[in-house]
Amino acid sequence: MHTLIQGVILGVLTGGVYALMASGQTLIFGVMKVVNLAQGAFVIASAYLAFTLFTQFGIDPLVAVLITTPLMFGIGVVGHWLFLRPLRREDATELSILITFALALLVEGILSITYHTTYRSINTSYANKAFDIGGFSVSAVRLYGFIVSCALLVLLYVILQKTRFGRAIRATVQNPQSATLLGVDSNRVKAYGFGLGIATAAASGSIYGLLFPFNSGSHYDLISRLLSVVVLGGLGSIGGAVLAGVIIGVVSSVAAVTWSPTWSEMTFFVVLLLVLLIRPQGMFGRVERGAL
Amino acid sequence: MNNNRLSKRWFKRAPLVAVVGAALVVLSACSASTPKATPTASTKALVIGISLSLTGDFADPGTAVKKGYELWADTVNAKGGVLGRQVVLKIVDDLSSPTQVVTNYQNLITRDKVDLVFGPFSSLLTVPASQVADRYKYAFIESAGGGPKVFAQKLGNLFFIQPGPIVKQGDVFADYILALPAAQRPKTAAYPSLDDPFAQPIAANIQARFEAAGIKTVYSGTYPAETPDLTPIMTKAIASKPDVIVSGTQSLDAYQQVKALIQLHYNPKWLYMSNGANSPVEFPSKVGAANTEGVFSSGDWFPSSTATGSADFIKAYIAKYGGDATGIDNSSVEAYAAGQVLELVAAKTGKVDNATIISTLHSGTWATLLGNLSWDAIGEPQGSYLLVQWQKGKLVPVYPAAIAQSAPEAPKPNWAG
Repeated sequence: MHTLIQGVILGVLTGGVYALMASGQTLIFGVMKVVNLAQGAFVIASAYLAFTLFTQFGIDPLVAVLITTPLMFGIGVVGHWLFLRPLRREDATELSILITFALALLVEGILSITYHTTYRSINTSYANKAFDIGGFSVSAVRLYGFIVSCALLVLLYVILQKTRFGRAIRATVQNPQSATLLGVDSNRVKAYGFGLGIATAAASGSIYGLLFPFNSGSHYDLISRLLSVVVLGGLGSIGGAVLAGVIIGVVSSVAAVTWSPTWSEMTFFVVLLLVLLIRPQGMFGRVERGAL
Repeated sequence: MNNNRLSKRWFKRAPLVAVVGAALVVLSACSASTPKATPTASTKALVIGISLSLTGDFADPGTAVKKGYELWADTVNAKGGVLGRQVVLKIVDDLSSPTQVVTNYQNLITRDKVDLVFGPFSSLLTVPASQVADRYKYAFIESAGGGPKVFAQKLGNLFFIQPGPIVKQGDVFADYILALPAAQRPKTAAYPSLDDPFAQPIAANIQARFEAAGIKTVYSGTYPAETPDLTPIMTKAIASKPDVIVSGTQSLDAYQQVKALIQLHYNPKWLYMSNGANSPVEFPSKVGAANTEGVFSSGDWFPSSTATGSADFIKAYIAKYGGDATGIDNSSVEAYAAGQVLELVAAKTGKVDNATIISTLHSGTWATLLGNLSWDAIGEPQGSYLLVQWQKGKLVPVYPAAIAQSAPEAPKPNWAG
């Protein structure tokens, strides 16, 4: 029983980080109907940025979020302008899969040349620290990562619900034509929406770098996990992505603790398969319109 | 009269004769020196063809192997070469591809007609490459392909330049534990291993010997290479509080296992990790130097080694590549030892042809940087690895006793955190 509870704690904490990564992914889909296969690559790029800021300037990866987030937002906006804006509306979704995959390969290539393929990890002073809470071990890095993830998810919620920009995004998600008629500059909203989605990768990258070793090729595993989370939550639903991240984190961790590590890795894909068979739109996804 | 005429004519022509004669003398002098400049069997360069992974997945270790081969060539050439022949390495890139490596050795042997070949990096590439060499009756001295599939080919031309097959790397830890008095031995063991042909079988070999000796297995499991998070797995592995943890690891997963154990506040009495923990630089940098104390691993060479030529090797390595001894990759050492073996054959037989190398290396022991090496009929090394332990921030050989520089430290001190 002790082992099981320990597994659930680990799963919730890890799931929180997946939730943050997947929220960006699902936001981009919601706003633009773009399946962003480069989200994992941007998370890894952000992990490298955090690594550099930590090793070269001694900036803590969780503080580095303040630098990397605006930077990644900018990269997202420019990336949208360069690669996604030129796509024709009618086949944008299909082509975006190819374009964003190419973008992922481009990011991977740049990282390989810059940092080589050696695995890196960010070893802060609290990297090995763990709190003993009621006989259960809670890793400091996981706890801090979870807290930062939650804080950023709340911030994302506030931006989307309480700001004019957020309203424009939600309007574009729900009905792009009406939003345009009401004066929303849909190109700008899409660019900023894409930027915001990529900006969530900045914070997730810092936390990912603290938790796991990574190299330029790590984004392949990551994107397959993120897609599982996003599909379970429902494409376009941020709340769904958060809940799905935590569910998959817990299921995966509990499977490793009680059953087999091999099955733990499989859980992501078993979940993905089941969702596609039983409820293709995911837990909170809607078939026709977005649900931000 | 005639004589006079002749003599007059002779004297008239004397300058011409003198010039021709002088020219002849010069020519003869030149022709006398010509044989020295003509390549002969003893002065012709000894060309060794090698395919290495300089790009692709194995680029980093492939480059380390290249450093070792090149350092050996420089060293032996400075001493006058092998049997008076300067060594020339013809190194080509195989892109870490098992297909390209075949093309490369085919070209090296048939088109470039190299005298000898050395092996590539990894068992994956050694298997097809060694078949090409075998087809052309070339000796295949290789330092980086020691997996079971390499020896399953049962080739007579192959010699793996390490103390033993990779899967037996951990047997020395079992030797040490089972040599302890029964009361001091561990009672329970956990075996968390990476699903990898160079990791899991090492732990499985130890597990079989421990179980035969009555040490109870409380956990045995493998995890896939792409598992980013080992904390849940280690949570399960330590659930029954094993005395000893034997981890079949590579590198990343070893660091992740240690981190998980620290965070889960579990300190086994013995911790053996097949790889990762034997890296003098990476391991302390990844897990924190203070957390290395007491961790066991095994390997074939360490900077503190007293094996033949080790000190000279370190000196030459630092002079050529800079850095310090702890930064030397074992792949470089093993490649250098491959060259040493060739030198030893030449010194013993006075020849460096492929047939001589193949027939000579199947018997006797050969003193190299990696200790005394010997091979059976299929090129499987017959020696044992060294058991090392982190003691006061350094990797120290602790078993077998003949090479131990310190006594093994057990139980393992607690994590520094």
